[in-house]
Amino acid sequence: MKADITVTDNNNPHNWLNDHGDYLYRYAMSRLHDEELASDLLQETLLAGWKGHAGFSGSSSVRTWLVGIMKHKIIDHIRKEIRERNLVESVESDPTSAYFDADGSWHEAPQAWHENPEALCASGQFHTVLDRCIEKLPEKQQLVFRMRDVSGEESEAVCNTCDISATHLHVLLHRARMALRYCLQHHWFNQEEKS
Amino acid sequence: MKHACQEVSRLASDSLDRPLSLLEKLRFHIHLSVCGNCRNYTENMHLIHKATEMMQQTNYGHIRLSREQQQRLHDILHRETGV
Repeated sequence: MKADITVTDNNNPHNWLNDHGDYLYRYAMSRLHDEELASDLLQETLLAGWKGHAGFSGSSSVRTWLVGIMKHKIIDHIRKEIRERNLVESVESDPTSAYFDADGSWHEAPQAWHENPEALCASGQFHTVLDRCIEKLPEKQQLVFRMRDVSGEESEAVCNTCDISATHLHVLLHRARMALRYCLQHHWFNQEEKS
Repeated sequence: MKHACQEVSRLASDSLDRPLSLLEKLRFHIHLSVCGNCRNYTENMHLIHKATEMMQQTNYGHIRLSREQQQRLHDILHRETGV
């Protein structure tokens, strides 16, 4: 992360908003996908920073310090969300079984995708379809998938935030990725062949 | 090997999140060497993984606070901190 270039008054929350507001907002948006919520958390972060700025040691940049505060706010929010909406997913019934026959072989054989991976990964149209497929995932799968694969959080951090074991995380990610692959096969790759 | 593809699909996903044990690695690679379906699956999976990472950048890289949001936040800060 780039160090702060500005030598503006470090104790002024208005300066923090001007210098780091967009960055922090983007950080929250990329994790929560909700404009109002992201803006609220930014407000809380700046106010918490203001109340606690005596505790800021100056050993890190102001931005790093503010991101640290915001991270905690996001984690608190996600935990509350999981608790209040009772987001649980059964470990017993395995939805990935539907993709296999009784002998454990593929029910529908995965196809080779012949598109150029670089071009595909950079394609906005593909991202739109991908995002739509992610939105269709069951809530808890979607939550951990977004944290781990979309935001690139470490597995350990995702487990801590969601209060789940590493094994449970792996199960959820496996289910999410399998459903996504199937969704993309049918909503992107098969469509390409037809057109 | 019974249930091989089903198990291998799990290993393909797990390998993105944890180091596989030596035994798992062996099973995984031996199976891939004889199973085109699972090779396709693993490749698809890596492509999705990479595309997902890049999606973050395209979908959120340009996001900024609107003028209204900025103004609202400045007002709130002023009210709450007196600065």
